[in-house]
Amino acid sequence: MSSQLSSQLNKPATQTAGAEGYNFAYLDEQSKRMLRRAMLKAVAIPGYQVPFGGREMPLPHGWGTGGMQLTATVIGEADTLKVIDQGADDTTNAVSIRRFFAKTAGVETTEHTADASLIQTRHRIPERQLRNDQILIYQVPIPEPLRFIEPRETETRKMHALREYGAMQVKLYEDVARFGHIATSYDYPVMVNDRYMMDPSPIPKFDNPKMNQMPALQLFGAGFEKRIYAVPPYTKVMSLDFDDYPFEVQSWEESCSICGSDHSFLDEVIMDDAGNKMFVCSDTDYCRERVEQGFTAENPEGQQGLTPEPNQSQQERKTQDDTKAEEMAP
Amino acid sequence: MYVAVKGGEKAIDNAHALMREQRRGDTAIAELSVEQIKQQLPLAVDRVMNEGSVYDPELAALALKQASGDSVEAIFLLRAYRTTLPRFGYSEPVDTEQMQIERRISGTFKDLPGGQVLGSTYDYTHRLLDFALLAEGDSALSEPEQASNNMGVLQSDLSANNVGVPQFPSEARTETKTSDKLEACPRVLELLNQEGLIEQSRADGEEDITPRDLTRQPVNYPAERAVRLQNLIRGDEGFLLSLSYASMRGYGDSHPFAGEMRSGLVSVELVPEELGFPIEIGEVMLTECEMVNQFHGSKDQPPQFTRGYGIAMGRAERKAMSVALVERALRAEELGEAVNYPTQDQEFVLSHTDCVSANGFVSHLKLPHYVDFQSELEMIRRLRKAASEASAQPSEDKADTAGEKI
Amino acid sequence: MSVQVNSMNRGAVRSDLLMAGFDDAVQDAQKVFRKVLKAMSEPGTILTADLTDKTPGALNKSSWEIALTLFDADTKIWLSPTLAGDDVVVSNLRFHCQCPMVSEPAEADFALALADELPELKTLNWGNSEYPDQSTTLIVQVEAITNQVQDSDEGWCLTGPGIETERGLSAKGLPYSFRLDLVNSRKRFPLGVDCVFCADDQLVALPRSTEIKPSDNEDGIRNTTQQEAN
Repeated sequence: MSSQLSSQLNKPATQTAGAEGYNFAYLDEQSKRMLRRAMLKAVAIPGYQVPFGGREMPLPHGWGTGGMQLTATVIGEADTLKVIDQGADDTTNAVSIRRFFAKTAGVETTEHTADASLIQTRHRIPERQLRNDQILIYQVPIPEPLRFIEPRETETRKMHALREYGAMQVKLYEDVARFGHIATSYDYPVMVNDRYMMDPSPIPKFDNPKMNQMPALQLFGAGFEKRIYAVPPYTKVMSLDFDDYPFEVQSWEESCSICGSDHSFLDEVIMDDAGNKMFVCSDTDYCRERVEQGFTAENPEGQQGLTPEPNQSQQERKTQDDTKAEEMAP
Repeated sequence: MYVAVKGGEKAIDNAHALMREQRRGDTAIAELSVEQIKQQLPLAVDRVMNEGSVYDPELAALALKQASGDSVEAIFLLRAYRTTLPRFGYSEPVDTEQMQIERRISGTFKDLPGGQVLGSTYDYTHRLLDFALLAEGDSALSEPEQASNNMGVLQSDLSANNVGVPQFPSEARTETKTSDKLEACPRVLELLNQEGLIEQSRADGEEDITPRDLTRQPVNYPAERAVRLQNLIRGDEGFLLSLSYASMRGYGDSHPFAGEMRSGLVSVELVPEELGFPIEIGEVMLTECEMVNQFHGSKDQPPQFTRGYGIAMGRAERKAMSVALVERALRAEELGEAVNYPTQDQEFVLSHTDCVSANGFVSHLKLPHYVDFQSELEMIRRLRKAASEASAQPSEDKADTAGEKI
Repeated sequence: MSVQVNSMNRGAVRSDLLMAGFDDAVQDAQKVFRKVLKAMSEPGTILTADLTDKTPGALNKSSWEIALTLFDADTKIWLSPTLAGDDVVVSNLRFHCQCPMVSEPAEADFALALADELPELKTLNWGNSEYPDQSTTLIVQVEAITNQVQDSDEGWCLTGPGIETERGLSAKGLPYSFRLDLVNSRKRFPLGVDCVFCADDQLVALPRSTEIKPSDNEDGIRNTTQQEAN
């Protein structure tokens, strides 16, 4: 009965853009509704991991199915999608996911950070400051920051409920005792809005400060762990540290061999059998943009004057009680 | 000048083309049809259906063909298809007591109502390679094996449409019935139940609740039994087999008897909203296993055997038994047993049964991790530099002064 | 499906009362969802949902479109008395969303209420400390919503995640006791109820993470909360 009436009352759903035999953006509407409801709860409780009925995606678990489910749920015909893996648009997995949505949703895709309304990422936050009209979707393998300290979900749930995060402090402290530094270099835990400890996904800690007060909405999807979490725009996100061992990000003595950047995350490239190496920007679009603006390795100051440092405005946005932000500045 | 590596799109296209070529193999050899796979590799098809959670032998066979016979890849294909299918409704619970028995054995009673029906099985075959199968044609199948040499091997006469005519020595009775006329075949464990020797499948006054569907809702721990069973039935057969093996070897306190194993067709009924009564929409082949486990008792309750339950789609005895064993091991906590081993640990078992997840996560290590590795490189160089400076010029251990702060 | 359908609402859908939902169920739901997502992630931001021509009974455009976007067979819905008593509303919700209706607000995933029929906040589900997400989302139809609070005696000053500095909001027609309870509910974060206020084709969200301070005009609440703090 329902289906007959339904077809009389509702015009058929758009099928033109999607792949044959599949709904727009692959997921069926019931799955999208379930994900949408979970996403709204995630946004309402920043940093808290909302369990959801994770769907099978046609890519392997651990290859971005969580991020893909979020993208499939959020994306519309008006969106322009960018997908990066390790900061680059052209790595195989990024290409594969971008094609998936070009095919199943028929949306515009771009490699330019500035032109994207949705950015799905694995392991990086773009160097360019994101805007309030953009959404950043992270692929997350293990959403639980405490998982390697306590493998049981029942236990880590309690720790989050009680805001009992001493175990992580102990772990970081042991690093300090053993190495003289906090030895976590990526997947570096953060506190969201002073309440929930959150795994930022395996981004390098270099990117952590970008999460704080970011104007863009940040969504995190863990596919096979079936968790969604979120950081709304303009939300306090602080990396864990100690008074005398403040959080600090990576730095390089080298600069990018292509655009000359001395402030972006650099990939190391081995050049020959002798182990000679060079460094290039991990964010390929940022590097391209700088080259177009006349920056080169030989002329790192550029021909048209400096563009703003990528995170400068973020530093300015810090609130007065955010003394940590100063310590975090590289 | 260095130019960043490009060419991801082309590399992917080429990789896919090579994969298709490899899958097809030598084109001088006739291509395998999906129907051939369905008919001649039915146990492989059943495994894909089980873990793919879709009862559709044709699609499972297609998935196997597309996956070059890799069952994990085929299961993944079927799962990914399944997830896009709309739900038309939910069937009534199937009644396996009304199963059209094709095979039914009990390890606990020599004879029982309904009889032992050996059906088709590899159980008593001697595992000798049948080189006659190398030659094309039916070979050994057409020659009935000698019962004296091959105790209990099915003498199958499919042309006469007899489902299972076992020539089983003394302990099993010979069944000669055809599938359309079977005597009542009550569950073995229900027979024990008449004496109160085994726990009830549900407590007095307990009503069935509609189980949570773990493909639509997340699993929270501790998970209820219906959810645990769903998870196990979708779980990797090899993993479950090994876990049940471990549970029987002392890592789980499991001392089971195979109360009953049965396979056959079961009808599926659905109640359409507008009719309000159930109609049959088809039949599915199921394999069900009920284990009788060590008994329990307390001050208030006399000792009773406990149950472990497993069910699987198609002919999947190994799977059904493994599920029943692991399922029982996971009941340790609710039955007041000590939880000492991973086989009894819900979260450990249920989080790691899924072959699609396991395969995905292990294989994701093949993806680039340049950035994380670069971060580690930077860190380890920094630590080594600090260490070498420190050893050159010893100083106080600064760590002692580290204070806590969030 | 684990949803137990409440027997009291298991009546037939009256097909003579049905009206069209979205023109394009897929694209329109996506568009409305993005509005709600923006509203929930940037509390106090007023957005417009104007994709339908007609709405059932007393439902306004934004609440009807939110229902079409988020309700389905897996969500339990509580309706305030006027809505629950209106066959047009119930038939259309059940037909388009297949959602089961519940009689207790505490059981509801979504509660949909008129401003003068609000259930007491404490009767809704606030989630629990391990699963605070398992809480009711409250959708309230109000007379008007505005960010101009200077001349309002119902104004709020909002701060918290999603708000760069602070944002004014006034939702007209909410009972005093409800506003008071909402302000006080913040003490129990992360437990709480997330609210969406709907006025005609406008919507605004107030998730539990948002700190609410009565704007200067609202003396009653200010005094009361100060007393409680003391």
